[in-house]
Amino acid sequence: MAAASSYMGFSSFPILGWLGGRREVIRKKLFSISAQQQAEVREGDSKMDSQGVKEDSKSETMKPRTQPRPVEPQTNVKSKNMSRDYGGQWLSSVTRHVRIYAAYIDPETWEFDQTQMDKLTLILDPTNEFVWTDETCALVYSYFQELVDHYEGAPLTEYTLRLIGSDIEHYIRKLLYDGQIKYNMNARVLNFSMGKPRILPNDYDQLQETKL
Amino acid sequence: MQGRLSAWLVKHGIVHRSLGFDYQGIETLQVKPEDWHSIAVILYVYGYNYLRSQCAYDVAPGGLLASVYHLTRIEYDIDQPEEVCIKVFVPRKNARIPSVFWVWKSADFQERESYDMLGISYENHPRIKRILMPESWIGWPLRKDYIAPNFYEIQDAH
Repeated sequence: MAAASSYMGFSSFPILGWLGGRREVIRKKLFSISAQQQAEVREGDSKMDSQGVKEDSKSETMKPRTQPRPVEPQTNVKSKNMSRDYGGQWLSSVTRHVRIYAAYIDPETWEFDQTQMDKLTLILDPTNEFVWTDETCALVYSYFQELVDHYEGAPLTEYTLRLIGSDIEHYIRKLLYDGQIKYNMNARVLNFSMGKPRILPNDYDQLQETKL
Repeated sequence: MQGRLSAWLVKHGIVHRSLGFDYQGIETLQVKPEDWHSIAVILYVYGYNYLRSQCAYDVAPGGLLASVYHLTRIEYDIDQPEEVCIKVFVPRKNARIPSVFWVWKSADFQERESYDMLGISYENHPRIKRILMPESWIGWPLRKDYIAPNFYEIQDAH
């Protein structure tokens, strides 16, 4: 489904934010950074109800993370260059949990400005398969920034974006296996695309002991 | 062991090397890449008017790349058409083979696929570009020393 959605029209974007969302507050896990080296300020609205508790923050403290450098929020963004005259396509890497577009997308109105191809926008887990908190989102965003810094100077092609997107997917999978994020059981599609949920017997015993 | 076509080519002083016969008894010849275009024209004039298949393969990791042409001589009222298989070997560092598109038009997409999968660039081909992979793809997927990128795909969905 996610692969096909790169060809969906722009009008379907607001719907994507709603998929799987039973909560009142829709989390917009959207994050834009500049693909070029500039000084940037923090952006990205994340009105989040932090219901998921993060158990393990070891890996976070172990190594210094790259600080994400989001682009400035823009006002009055209009969709540009989306028509058929411009090819009706955009530079993107779309997998189920990671959508990267070489464009500026307004976090409120989802206006899609294709003229700003110097910016990359990451839409994280639009189908809400996982329970995200501020911290886990920040982990992914900083990893995204790290990758973009790493691929600096590479040609801005679909191949490069797909390399970045795949690395983020692998990172999300690692977060899941480390227990930092977990499946959202209220998600609309429960097919456990990153592996069935597991309870390790040892952990389970310890969990029981601590509870008793 | 020399086939009919090889003998004919020897008679006319055309450089080639006989590679024997395949399991169907079809004569197989090796041709140098720099001679290939002129020999293709000669074979067309001889009567091989149908390029049945063009394919390519990687001989060994780090070794040569091969481009293979199966030619057939189509005539009216014939049930055993003459066939021949031509192989052209090129080093992978400088994989350039003259295109036979202007001799047999059916080489068009097949040479593009060979280019896409193995990176053999066919000279004088009108539009040599990737046909199966995205145009921004890096690397030649069917070469034996190709390392696939670690792209994420859903493998565990239940």
